[in-house]
Amino acid sequence: MSTELFFVQLINGLQYGLLLFLIASGLTLVFGVMGILNLAHGSMYMVGAYLVWYFVAVTGSFTVSAILSAVIALGLGILIERVLIQRLYNRNHLDQVLLTIGMIFVFNSLQSILWGNDPYGVAVPEALSGSVPFTDNSSYPVYRIFAAMVCIAIATALYFIVSKTRLGMLIRAGESNREMVEALGVNIKSLYTIVFAIGVMLAAISGIIAAPMSSIVPGMGESVLITCFVVVVIGGMGSIKGAFVGALLVGVISTFAAVLMPTMSNMIIYIFMILVLLVKPQGLFAK
Amino acid sequence: MIFEKRTERIFLAVFFVIALCIPLFLEDNSFFVGKTTTVMILAVFVMSLDFLVGRVGLVTLGHALFYGLGGYLFVILTPEYEAVNFWIYAIYIMGISALIALVVGIVVLRTSGIYFIMITLAISQMAYYFFFDSLEFGGNDGLFIFMKPETSIFGLNFLNLDNPTHFYYLSLLGVLITLVAIKVILRSRFGRIVEATRLNPERTEALGYNIFAFRLISYVIGSTLAAYAGLLFALQYGYVNPQFMTWEMSGTALVMSILGGMGTIYGAILGTITYEGLQYFFEHMTEDWMLFMGGAIILMVLLLRKGLAGYLEKLLEK
Repeated sequence: MSTELFFVQLINGLQYGLLLFLIASGLTLVFGVMGILNLAHGSMYMVGAYLVWYFVAVTGSFTVSAILSAVIALGLGILIERVLIQRLYNRNHLDQVLLTIGMIFVFNSLQSILWGNDPYGVAVPEALSGSVPFTDNSSYPVYRIFAAMVCIAIATALYFIVSKTRLGMLIRAGESNREMVEALGVNIKSLYTIVFAIGVMLAAISGIIAAPMSSIVPGMGESVLITCFVVVVIGGMGSIKGAFVGALLVGVISTFAAVLMPTMSNMIIYIFMILVLLVKPQGLFAK
Repeated sequence: MIFEKRTERIFLAVFFVIALCIPLFLEDNSFFVGKTTTVMILAVFVMSLDFLVGRVGLVTLGHALFYGLGGYLFVILTPEYEAVNFWIYAIYIMGISALIALVVGIVVLRTSGIYFIMITLAISQMAYYFFFDSLEFGGNDGLFIFMKPETSIFGLNFLNLDNPTHFYYLSLLGVLITLVAIKVILRSRFGRIVEATRLNPERTEALGYNIFAFRLISYVIGSTLAAYAGLLFALQYGYVNPQFMTWEMSGTALVMSILGGMGTIYGAILGTITYEGLQYFFEHMTEDWMLFMGGAIILMVLLLRKGLAGYLEKLLEK
């Protein structure tokens, strides 16, 4: 592998990893704070991609569509938490698994009813459609750099919110002792609603950002869901820092595996995850 | 009596009477005989999962690994154009599956809780992609079974597996044997300790039991039963492919067992029939059956606290 190809792949891997982090952050946040394993998280990613495709077709503006889609996703998150998730806080974890599997069915079906099963694509917004020269004979698409920047910005914002703001303090307190937070007069119910809705919105934003880089197809949520599981498990469930490291590792490893050993590339991240768990049974950044 | 609850006895009596008679009514409808056969095979699979998840406390999302393995092992081990003996090969395949489950179990049981769910998922995904990407195992298309095995025991031959009705009874026998085997295990001293490891692992360990060993043996038992179900499924349809091993397959089985009532074992049969029945019903009603299926699952989670078996017990137990 030439140095040039190595760096192109490395950047590809990091960019993919950053996107994975954005998807996984919502999953791990909801799990860390609420103890809920949301199997429908991938569906929210799909919802984001389909919504932005739909609004771009209607309005023609990517920015407007992205904002509209993110806001709708936030509303959807509040609705789901209030109507469904809230009823299961005192129940067995398996009931939550069952509920979110039911939600996957519903969302996949709604997708096919509303938008059919044809694959779609979203055009890269014009301002970001160029590419920057990388070396003499290779270049890198501007949109991918932009996507990576957005992911970094959101990761930074998330870090800031969780570690520096009052909401973040409550989130961290809720993670370690729910009853105590409640006893201190914090409305844990609304806190949970907010956290769940943020989780849904993060998944949808990932779908929105990924839309111009990938095709929008039925079932896109499930494949991303499993990769996200790998990411959060490697990092340690519930740890946002862990998800960040896990996502970059998975992004880089799977990108290089696809080039270096194509026949085994699909298996590599699972092998890596199993190795990590054998050394650290609770992930790299276990609490 | 290994069936302790009244509800359980009533349900199983009704189930087996109806199940025994089904082919009499459907003799000339081979589609339905085939469909009910599949339901029976799935019931074996779901019961084995229910044992692991509900009784041993090992929530696995990779159970389909062994379901697929049962099918793949048959094709790999048997000659292509020669009918082998079913019973001998069933034991042979279950033996190898048990060995594989032992190795997998030693790895996955190092973790617990949510990490156990994820590591079992990862191992089955690994196996899925192994078969999916391999040329010698047929890749995505899988492998075909050209000869159904013969089923003679000591020269006596009751069953012809090419006959759908005979195959149906073989699958029903599988349900009966699996049910009784799991129940007997749970009633035994071993089973009591296994349940103790679920309910209070620290205390069980303090009593001097090696909980890792008990979990490992249970994992091997559950996985081996799943391999048997997979073997039957592959034989019924005459092929095996990576779709047997998807996480959706494991997930669906988990849905069936939770719907039926986790840990009740007979509930797994009830859950499988209900799930397959609902799916069949919605599929024939509308193209968007998944919407109704998802809605039905969500409603049942919200309304039934202990699954369908729990609801039945509320009606029938005093």
